[in-house]
Amino acid sequence: MLALDKLKLDGKVAVVTGAGRGLGLAMALALAEADADLVVAARTRSQIEETAETVRARGRRCLPVPTDITDSRSVQAMVDAAIAEYGRIDILVNNAGAGSIGRGIPLEEVTDDLWRRSIDTNLSGAFYCCRAAIPHMLRQGGGKIINVTSISGLRGVPNSFTYAAAKAGLINFTRALALTYARHNIQCNLIAPGLFPHGEPAAIEALGGGRYVPMGRVGSDEEMGPLCVFLASELTSYMNGQVIVLDGGGLAGGHAPTGFAPVVPLAADALEGGA
Amino acid sequence: MAQEVFSLEGKVALVIGASNVIGRAIAVALAEAGANVAVATTIRSRREEVAAHSCANEVWALNRRGFAQAIDAASESDVEALVRRTVSELSRLDILVNAHDLPFAKPLLEVSPTEWQRVIDVNLTGVYLACRAAARPMLSQESGRVINVVSLLGERGMVNGAAYCAAQAGVLNLTRALALEWARSGVKVNAIGAGWAEGMGLLGQEEERQQLEHFLPYRRLAQPEEIAGAAVYMASDAADYLTGQIVWIEGGALSRP
Repeated sequence: MLALDKLKLDGKVAVVTGAGRGLGLAMALALAEADADLVVAARTRSQIEETAETVRARGRRCLPVPTDITDSRSVQAMVDAAIAEYGRIDILVNNAGAGSIGRGIPLEEVTDDLWRRSIDTNLSGAFYCCRAAIPHMLRQGGGKIINVTSISGLRGVPNSFTYAAAKAGLINFTRALALTYARHNIQCNLIAPGLFPHGEPAAIEALGGGRYVPMGRVGSDEEMGPLCVFLASELTSYMNGQVIVLDGGGLAGGHAPTGFAPVVPLAADALEGGA
Repeated sequence: MAQEVFSLEGKVALVIGASNVIGRAIAVALAEAGANVAVATTIRSRREEVAAHSCANEVWALNRRGFAQAIDAASESDVEALVRRTVSELSRLDILVNAHDLPFAKPLLEVSPTEWQRVIDVNLTGVYLACRAAARPMLSQESGRVINVVSLLGERGMVNGAAYCAAQAGVLNLTRALALEWARSGVKVNAIGAGWAEGMGLLGQEEERQQLEHFLPYRRLAQPEEIAGAAVYMASDAADYLTGQIVWIEGGALSRP
């Protein structure tokens, strides 16, 4: 099979959480363009119905299921609905999350409730989805889990505690999944997006237009789609437990400010050698 | 007393690269902890020779034995002779510190093969030569500590830093490989991951230094002495079970995005 043919997802069913907007929407549309049929889940019905319309307009089937991923019964109902509609789940994209919960709040002001809400949304939700979907993948003989973590899961940001803990937890949760199901043909990998302000001018402005990113710009949601398709495809049949960071080069540096570029020639007598 | 386990009394250390700020601070810290310390340059330059002799003076001022030797760290014969002299003058070799540092940064298209080779030879091959030479006495006495100093550039990239970054990353994984190779022989191999410190060769100009200070979580560069303490721990009996580890002292630089 040609490499590009392996990117085709026809006959596959993908579940994308948080698919009403932003990266979830972009990933859902990219999966549909690769010919997957979809289940799109999110809390807000109107948004996922809009996503579903867009997917259908591109010729794929799409089932919108309003879901609260922090409620395991709601997640189970969503997975049951997916199975009722399609009879299978091949790809699960755990994208739903909320970085805004607890961001910029000093430690002593992080209440028990805030902590739990963030862990529920950013970590437990993915656990509920995996627990509900993986039995179907095992039955089918394989599947793909794509968990969306964050730069915050890899590096710290001041006064951002709950999100950092949840997203780092998600990374190692995924590695445990990867090892557990390695011999069951389920590949479990992660995407860590850098700065994706979803095209919102105020958000882009707040990020300085991305001038601190080595590439000099923020990411656009459409750039996330192909990575999701790649991780959902047969091109990654041997990739397991990996974090792919899509951040314009930020984490390749990070020990010094962007643009730090000293020029230090060899000392005049450094080339002589001593032998 | 817990402190005694950190004492290096009766041990002999060899610090290559004591002519730079980190190597010098480590040599002095090891001497303060009780070791006799031989020190050497990274290259045979006048500046490095003066710095190494000044470091040896500090060792003597602490009433420890030692000597300074100018070497080219990329020369096998220089390194072999240095280890022989250490064992013969100080009677043994317990601790090897590879603080080699030949700083270099240029846009890649301007890096000549000669420059590339020299940066790799001194910063990476030099560490291999020193490990090989020191391992002979260490393996035969079934004990020894190798402490490699790597920079942030072994873990992260830097504009203009390709050659230096490649060499440093090489040292970083050389550390893990040798740790495994010698794990059952009594020779422990670890690395100190050094953050941006005052007086380092790669800091560039004053403007770049200010950019760095503003960027770092502590809003300041490290003092070399703040990095040297880890060498005392790694060299001592307190670290008997530690091997193959990179201990970063970088003021939190690697924790931030």
